[in-house]
Amino acid sequence: MRLKGKIALVTGSSRGIGRAIALKLAAEGADIIVNFLRHRQGAEETARDAEKLGVSAQIIKANLVEPDKIDAMFETIASKYGRLDILVNNAASGVARSALDLDTRGWEWAMDINARAFLLCAQRAVKLMGERGGKIVSVSSLGSFFVLPDYVAVGVSKAALEALTRYLAVELAPKGICVNAVAASAVQTEAIKFFTKEAEGQMPSWQMTPAGRMVTPEDVANAVAFLCSEEAFMIRGRTIIIDGGTSLAPFSFTDEGG
Amino acid sequence: MSVEDTIKGIVTKIVRCDEKILTPESTWQDLKADSLDMVQILIAIEEKFDIEVPDEDAQEIKNFGEFVAYVEGRVAKKS
Repeated sequence: MRLKGKIALVTGSSRGIGRAIALKLAAEGADIIVNFLRHRQGAEETARDAEKLGVSAQIIKANLVEPDKIDAMFETIASKYGRLDILVNNAASGVARSALDLDTRGWEWAMDINARAFLLCAQRAVKLMGERGGKIVSVSSLGSFFVLPDYVAVGVSKAALEALTRYLAVELAPKGICVNAVAASAVQTEAIKFFTKEAEGQMPSWQMTPAGRMVTPEDVANAVAFLCSEEAFMIRGRTIIIDGGTSLAPFSFTDEGG
Repeated sequence: MSVEDTIKGIVTKIVRCDEKILTPESTWQDLKADSLDMVQILIAIEEKFDIEVPDEDAQEIKNFGEFVAYVEGRVAKKS
């Protein structure tokens, strides 16, 4: 168990990738703080499943668009645990719009949750990491680099997240804090239905990978757990791509798998 | 303020429509509410009344009147 005794906050971990990350970190021995916004039942399930792995788990509701709610979440963590070792910045949202149809509300919504909340959470997490240092890992998306249909709001906000990952990695290195990110191609979750549905039901061909299947939440969780471990100590400010090779051969694979 | 008036205030603020056009028969399409509006309305309602509105329930609600009745039911159940 690589994370025994660590305390880990995973934002947006009531379901999907966040839930898989929380359970993977729990399996590695970390006590888990499950942040959620709207899916309390899912958050409670994640916490229960984490506890079954022999660690403690707590759920905290917080809308990360609102800075005062982020403050309240970290105040709760400070009063209950007095410290934090791992921050996984996973909570994300967005709007499915083309660039020309994107309004300021959609832009701000995606930027506030996907990029600004990362900055605000990291600033507060650093205080709780203190001199012991820690690990900060963000969940990005291949849409930060590739152009995907109606994905501009999320894609641009994830690009900001990745840039912030690099800046934080250098600024926080002297404090013993490792900052990295992971970026997955299409992951088999509920969230992907949102974008494929709003893009008129067309499942993108990049769902199939050279590795022969879609990326799963557990694939992402395994990479995050690695980046949270001491084994990844010399990896700083990088975005690890988890895509089964898709980005290496983007035009070679079809819905039938090639 | 009644539950209905509170919901009206939240919906008109987020969708940016006049309260006068909001009737029990108004659908989300009538109000030109997009997916972001819906998410923000649900977040605001859940916060205001300390209830949860599962996505599956929200998808079944056809108009504003049904929405108000649903929220009133959840609020009553809580107390």
